Amino acid sequence: MSRTWLIYGRWMRDRRRSTLLWSVGITLVSVATAAFYPSLRSTAQSFGEGSTMSSVLGLGEGVDPSTPVGFLWAFNYSNQLPWLLMALGIALGTASIAGDEGDGTLEYLLAKPVTRTEIAFARFGGMITVLVVASIVNLVGVAVTMPLFDLADSTTVTALDGTTSTAAGATVGDLFVGGLSALAVGLGSGAVAYLVGAATGRRGVALGVASGFAVAGYVLYTLANVTGDYEWLTWFSPWRWFIDDAMMVDGLTLDILWPVLLAAGSLLVGWQLFLRRDLQR
Amino acid sequence: MTVIEAVALTKKWGDFVAVDSLDLSVAEGECYAFLGRNGAGKSTTARMLLDFIRPSSGVARVLGGSGRDPGVRARIGYLPGDLDLPKSITGSEAIHYFGSIGRTPDQAEVDGLVERLGMNLDRPFHQLSTGSRRKVGLVLAFMNDPELLILDEPTSGLDPVLQETFRDLVAERKARGATVWLTSHVMSDVEHVADRVGLIDEGHLAQELSMDELRRQTTGEIKLTFPTPPDPTAFDRVPDVSEVHVDGVELTLHVDGPVTAVLARAAELGAVGIRTRQRELEDIFLETYADREPER
Repeated sequence: MSRTWLIYGRWMRDRRRSTLLWSVGITLVSVATAAFYPSLRSTAQSFGEGSTMSSVLGLGEGVDPSTPVGFLWAFNYSNQLPWLLMALGIALGTASIAGDEGDGTLEYLLAKPVTRTEIAFARFGGMITVLVVASIVNLVGVAVTMPLFDLADSTTVTALDGTTSTAAGATVGDLFVGGLSALAVGLGSGAVAYLVGAATGRRGVALGVASGFAVAGYVLYTLANVTGDYEWLTWFSPWRWFIDDAMMVDGLTLDILWPVLLAAGSLLVGWQLFLRRDLQR
Repeated sequence: MTVIEAVALTKKWGDFVAVDSLDLSVAEGECYAFLGRNGAGKSTTARMLLDFIRPSSGVARVLGGSGRDPGVRARIGYLPGDLDLPKSITGSEAIHYFGSIGRTPDQAEVDGLVERLGMNLDRPFHQLSTGSRRKVGLVLAFMNDPELLILDEPTSGLDPVLQETFRDLVAERKARGATVWLTSHVMSDVEHVADRVGLIDEGHLAQELSMDELRRQTTGEIKLTFPTPPDPTAFDRVPDVSEVHVDGVELTLHVDGPVTAVLARAAELGAVGIRTRQRELEDIFLETYADREPER
């Protein structure tokens, strides 16, 4: 077995419990939110009134929160789920190099015949794996329980102007697309933490910069939507493509590649900077 | 063959110079003790040898190559001053994991080390005491039959029996041709295992001496025993004698030159016993750092 696999395997093994807890926690939040659909669907349309709430709930044009897919998007997949996956991603991205470096475990590993390159790629792979596992558990959890909450059934929707239409129930495909786009956001944020941690070896800096990136991006996006000012700045926010595109409702777009590109860039830059610097102690 | 070689090795962080133009050479099969006060630059030197940190200038060569080369590190057994392993890893998992990464250890060798050090194989690392963690570190450092051992405070936290076991292990590895580079504040350890000692002070190599040289040195202190309490002024006219003290039938003096005249005078006075105190490593350590501030 290659050393990269051994390092990856050990890192995953050390995170068995936390991966399980995060996966179960995220899934419980999703299932608990889904359980409110029967009682909220009749009033869900009113939640999106006002530009602030509309922005927070990701209620762009054509998104009706009283439909099964619109409800899941507005009340979980556009906010709670990506936030949780971002938090997980940032925690993992910070731990992958800077966290272990701060704990002193990275230095001992590097006393063995392994290269920094092997560690950099093994840890990045570990971060992706945990995020994917948590996303899959969430997908399965929501897919299995959603029939209990009428989310899999077609429903008749009455618009504000009184017209009625039939909305299809949520499918596993919808959950997959919603989960995939949320996973991409989590990965992008985790990659920022990874990059800063690999470049500096400082856990606090990695955590702070990546969290700031996530929170400031969200605040910036919401404020710009509400006020109409500084709209151009929202291009620097990961939420712009994520919420504007509402992929769970409208389908996948190429914009999902932005966080993937951010992750790939962070890996390459972080790896190169990690190769060139002193380990912190 | 030179196993460790440092040429004008320097490490600076801003204005702070941790290691300053260090020249060092350790031969194959030698046990070299690198001593100094806390913050003197010992661990920084070790970290440069292993490529954890890069020199600001100068060169560090290990086993004929660079510590950056995994092939070189495969031949090194390392014990850091503070061993940190993943919290949940057990002793047996650590042996398996690090053994898989490096040279595959001989199982009989591992079993022997575990037994001699009394290492706990089943408890997670974070539940182990300081001494037990040290045992894990020693097993991991010695198990791959390394050609070079870099040991930072190896006996810190070990009881006297295990300290003795450690000394035996070093002697055995040396007998197999391994080179040992260690730091320690336990002078008795160093005196037992080292062939040569380097004292580093504020990043400089202040002094280097072999243990053979050390053993040949005496402090200049002579203790004479007489049948009856001697006169403290009896050695006043003997050249180079100072610090004469009498305690009962014992007279202690310090001679800073040839002892012939002292011995002649002692015989004349009817001395029945004589002892000289050998200079110990601790004396040299204390002399070297006598005028230094407590700790940087």
